[in-house]
Amino acid sequence: MTLAETTATRPRVRRRSAAAERARRFAAIRPWLFLAPALLVYGGFLVLPMLFTLYTSFYSWDGISPLANMTWVGLENYVRAFTADTVARRAFVNNLFWTAGAVIIPTIIGLFLAIALNGVAAVNRALRTIYYAPAVLPLVAVGLIWGWMYNPNFGAVNLFLREIGLGHWAGGWLSSHTMALPATFITFVWSSVGFPMILYLAGLQTIPRELYEAARIDGASRWHCFRFITLPGLVETHVIVLSLAVINGFKVFDLIYTMTYGGPGRSTHVLGTWMYFQAFQFHNAGYGAALAWIIAAIVLVVAVPYIRRMSRS
Amino acid sequence: MDNIVASFAERRTDFVIKLLLVGIAVFWLMPFVVIFLTAIRSQGDMIRNGIFSWPEELRWDNFVAAWDTGRFNIYFRNSLFLILVKVPLGLLIASLAAYPLAKMKFRGSDTVFILFLVGLAVPIQVTLQPLLIMMSSLGIANTLWALIPPYLAFGLPFQIFVMRGFFRILPNELIEAARMDGASETSIFFRIMLPLSLPPLATLAIIDTLATWNEFLIALVLISANSSRTVPIGLMQFQGQYQSQFTLLMAGVLISIIPVLLIFLFLQRYFVAGLAGSVKG
Repeated sequence: MTLAETTATRPRVRRRSAAAERARRFAAIRPWLFLAPALLVYGGFLVLPMLFTLYTSFYSWDGISPLANMTWVGLENYVRAFTADTVARRAFVNNLFWTAGAVIIPTIIGLFLAIALNGVAAVNRALRTIYYAPAVLPLVAVGLIWGWMYNPNFGAVNLFLREIGLGHWAGGWLSSHTMALPATFITFVWSSVGFPMILYLAGLQTIPRELYEAARIDGASRWHCFRFITLPGLVETHVIVLSLAVINGFKVFDLIYTMTYGGPGRSTHVLGTWMYFQAFQFHNAGYGAALAWIIAAIVLVVAVPYIRRMSRS
Repeated sequence: MDNIVASFAERRTDFVIKLLLVGIAVFWLMPFVVIFLTAIRSQGDMIRNGIFSWPEELRWDNFVAAWDTGRFNIYFRNSLFLILVKVPLGLLIASLAAYPLAKMKFRGSDTVFILFLVGLAVPIQVTLQPLLIMMSSLGIANTLWALIPPYLAFGLPFQIFVMRGFFRILPNELIEAARMDGASETSIFFRIMLPLSLPPLATLAIIDTLATWNEFLIALVLISANSSRTVPIGLMQFQGQYQSQFTLLMAGVLISIIPVLLIFLFLQRYFVAGLAGSVKG
């Protein structure tokens, strides 16, 4: 190769590589151009507010006056939530009971319904529609419907109890310290069994029929089929159903707010409603922020296996 | 196969299960029957005869009264507006983000995807106070526009998850062939990916429509003006005013749930299959 040849070709080569470089650089930012709107909205209206709430949780602030009027209090808000504030403790315990119930009861009923209603028969489809229908309603409407069902004087529940001779059981369900939360939870079960049912129905379709046929030929009872084929076959679904039950158990708000408003005597508050009261009714924004982050921290930790499962698919 | 080997005991279990299923179904339907029987009679009739009897006189005008006094026309208009703006916009933004996450190799794609998935677990409470401040400083506090950004943000994680999953199963050859023909990534997205994605988009649109219609907590905090109230907030307001007017109240409740019930009954095939399939991945 002579010197003349090299100098003659060099500019062309350089130009081409510059174009290639530009294309390469564009290819590198292209995914981010597609992601930009989502990242902006998600970052600006979810991540950023979350971080700002974390920041305010270390301050005493009314949520209204300018940010300059915030007073640094360190961990005091968190300490208060775990020690001095008895309502917060009660709310946390209520969350635990609610979550435990949500993990067990709708899950079992949903699994039972899924197994019993698996199939394309018209009856099965109709029954599935009935069981799922409450899940599409606004929870505010669900709360008002059941507030009326539980009405002490004219509500369907007490009317029914009197009708069948159990009138002494009739009472003011939502105004009773002991019954208000369980009564609200029954409403929750009514409105939520459809979801695990649907997830389990989808899970059942992934279990090969041949497994059941082979087991039956070998003389296995249906209980054994359920115990050794169905339950293990649904392990992926269990992870999702149980994770969502815990996550939603700590997020619960709408039903409590509309049915009991935290009452009677603040006995049915959960962290979600108590946070709302602190931040937006009593204007303790800093303390409300701490309560919000306690919920968030619990939920995010619980959600790890769920998120891991979702990211693998 | 099952029937051949089913023993007498198992057939008896079958019968018990069927009985149980019907029993629970009656319990599940009861609240719907109760609100209907409450909403179509007069308050006096309800007090005299109880809700389980057939009304002395059918009072369909309860619905008119509830619609007018509850000012449901405002709430319906607002919720419809939100759905018409938020649902298509959200699906577009989510699909745009899902495309590179599914079909392009780049550094940080896994991190970004997981960052979005974390949003599935974030409780709304942890964003409320800052959102309130942001909307005031943007000058859209107390308007419907204030609801759109947080609704978009909280809808994205699930929608990106579903769309990414769907894009991934579309064959790469489609995209490569289009690139060969000199199509830009933008036109590949709009001319090939989106048209092929109508089934998941329809499912997500239905799910998102219901979620937007039902959303309560964000609207409760960000909206206080009557003219900007959505259906759930309006319904709460209505309940506050007519607490003891049970017949009117249940007529209002029925009005507010009829749209979602209709959507569910007529479109449940897409809706339910989508919910199940998408969470299964």
